[in-house]
Amino acid sequence: MQKEIIVTGFGGQGIILAGRILGTAASLGDNKESTLVQAYGPESRGGACNAQVIISDTPIHYPYVKIPHILVAMSQAGYDKFSGLLQEDSILLTDQDLVPTTNAPCAHYEIAATRMAESLGHKMMANIIMIGFFTAITEAVSKNAALETVNRSVPKGTEEKNQKAFNKGFDYGLSTLKGKEKRAAGMTGAIAQ
Amino acid sequence: MNKQTKIILFLCNWGPHAAYLSLQDEKQNIPEAVHMVRIPCTGRVDRALLLRAFAKGADGVAMIGCSPGTCRYGSGTPTAIRNTQDTGTILDLMGIGQERLRFATFLPEQSEELLEFLQTFLHDIQKLGPTAITTLPDNPLPANPLNLPREEVSALVNTYDIHACQDCGKCSSACPLALVGKPFSARGIATAVINNELYKTNVQENVWSCLTCGLCYERCPSAVNFPAFIKELRYLYQKNTIQGNEAHGGFLHSLMRSMASPDLTPNRYQNIPEKLKIDPDSNILFYGGCAPYFDIFFSKHIDVNTEKILFDSIRLLNFFDVHPRLLGDERCCGHDLLWSGEQRHFKEVARLNVERLNSLGIETMITTCPECYMTFKTTYPDMGFQLNFEVVHLYDFLEKEIDRGAVEFTSFDKAVTFQDSCRLCRLEDRQELPRQLLARLQPNTFTEMRESGKGSMCCGNTAWTGCDSYSKAMQVKRLQQAKETGAELLITSCPKCQIHLQCAMQDPFREEELQIEMLDLTSVIAQTITWK
Ligand code: SF4
Ligand code: SF4
Ligand code: SF4
Repeated sequence: MQKEIIVTGFGGQGIILAGRILGTAASLGDNKESTLVQAYGPESRGGACNAQVIISDTPIHYPYVKIPHILVAMSQAGYDKFSGLLQEDSILLTDQDLVPTTNAPCAHYEIAATRMAESLGHKMMANIIMIGFFTAITEAVSKNAALETVNRSVPKGTEEKNQKAFNKGFDYGLSTLKGKEKRAAGMTGAIAQ
Repeated sequence: MNKQTKIILFLCNWGPHAAYLSLQDEKQNIPEAVHMVRIPCTGRVDRALLLRAFAKGADGVAMIGCSPGTCRYGSGTPTAIRNTQDTGTILDLMGIGQERLRFATFLPEQSEELLEFLQTFLHDIQKLGPTAITTLPDNPLPANPLNLPREEVSALVNTYDIHACQDCGKCSSACPLALVGKPFSARGIATAVINNELYKTNVQENVWSCLTCGLCYERCPSAVNFPAFIKELRYLYQKNTIQGNEAHGGFLHSLMRSMASPDLTPNRYQNIPEKLKIDPDSNILFYGGCAPYFDIFFSKHIDVNTEKILFDSIRLLNFFDVHPRLLGDERCCGHDLLWSGEQRHFKEVARLNVERLNSLGIETMITTCPECYMTFKTTYPDMGFQLNFEVVHLYDFLEKEIDRGAVEFTSFDKAVTFQDSCRLCRLEDRQELPRQLLARLQPNTFTEMRESGKGSMCCGNTAWTGCDSYSKAMQVKRLQQAKETGAELLITSCPKCQIHLQCAMQDPFREEELQIEMLDLTSVIAQTITWK
């Protein structure tokens, strides 16, 4: 099984770090193969940027993503650039405030990651919240591996805050899945219709 | 122990009493267990009296009146039937059983039928055996009630540091009772205690009137904890057989005192809507509180449905996949006993509750009643009753779940305002808790009342004690404040706020001016929460 992932956003959001955490979690934590291609360039000065991650049970021969199984978009520009590649069975994850306009052919899950990070007091942690969300929704990496990698990848002294951010995203992810299930079962509200 | 069966017979003076007289004249065998109380009209025996008979040890109570149409006063019979029904429903909930309370009518010439009725009733009651209600012995009459034990009074003065009072008057300028013009002074009570004047009737009246709402404590520069002080003073009064003014003839107090009977096994939650999911093995218990009793009792006067708050709470737990356990034999938490000076009964209730609840093996108790919450969470441990599980307010549970959850709230086209519960907001210091949830709702507008949060006025009564025309004046003022915000819906957070404020809305001269829809915060959330 091979999972091809694109994480996209603008410079300064920690997009590349997010990609690295996912890849590292898969290889060091879950003992899978993984690759990371990071697109720098003018992007690193605040334009669109992206990280391409491949996670696989078998050796990976080509590190570039052709068709993303999972697209994580944290900016409208990033979404616009890659959304054309999405297939029916892809999964799209977006920051709902930063990607207001979508028209995806596939399953789409939204989270207000940046707003949540702000309410936690650290806007910079939106990427970690997104990793938590990603982990819960896609199960492409295990929770333990992701959490441990987050711990090892963030600056010393900020581990606890980042863990909190991860869990925030993770819980929201679980809750989103539950909500989908409930909706599908016709149980939208608390009072039976 | 074989207690003698005791049947109280409330017998109307007019028709049926003549029948009873004939039985006596004919030296008929009226059972000894029957204790006859001759009354002017069955319609005048209120529900408080009926329940009090049981609370004081009756095993059965019969109300014998005149058949409809023959009532000398016209409306006696229907009133008596209604009162008997209400009390019967409450007896069912209490686990006493309504078959112990009977209403019947006899004409003057129906002495044989009356005798037969009494014998059958006695037979039935004997079959049922004694009720589970036991009574605590009465407090011994003090040698001189005018002279309260000096040592106990000074102990109170020291514990609550009454000498620290600077006589600044801030309490009176905050106290809602004083502000509506009642001759009432918190500072005056403090001074009276120091001067050993607790025997004065105006001081006593004041002690029983205080709402224990805690507003003065908020403002007091010397941090004199007035609510707690009043609570102890009332206990001191009770010990010296100085009774407070129990609202509604003491109906609710009889009910609560009965809860101190170890063998009483209430029979709750027989009517929960089918769709609610309950799990008897859950390690989360939902504790409802006394709302259903209130609804039955008050339905005679006002349109209240506070039991809905309990059902909506369970709906919300279910919404988040918690299927709670319910306790069929749930007692009351004892809050009102404690706050009306009935510390002995309170301690019995608390002991029984702790014993039962600690034996369940639950991890969490969730409640939405602010009084149950405060009593279990804070008062029990403070008084040495340790619980082996965590007590959580439903709002805390909801806030946590909603915060992590992919849920949202449908908007509703109403302007709303909010009535704080004095227990939750001030005594437990959690004014932020309902507000976090309120902020998530999507009403048309949300406007706080002129006095809100820590400074808010309460609903005008605590512990069913000392309700008077000033309480009404206060409630009218509060409702006017609510209307002033332009609100169409007053969101409450305590079932009693709904009852007391609804009561004030009955004012026939101010009808329009005071009417406002009320809904508990729990119900508003239950109605508008949805998965994203
Ligand atoms: S507790 Fe409330 S009612 Fe009692 S004195 Fe203080 S402010 Fe007044
Ligand atoms: S506010 Fe406190 S210090 Fe001031 S008069 Fe009242 S009890 Fe005394
Ligand atoms: S306000 Fe009404 S319901 Fe409340 S205690 Fe007074 S009379 Fe009873």
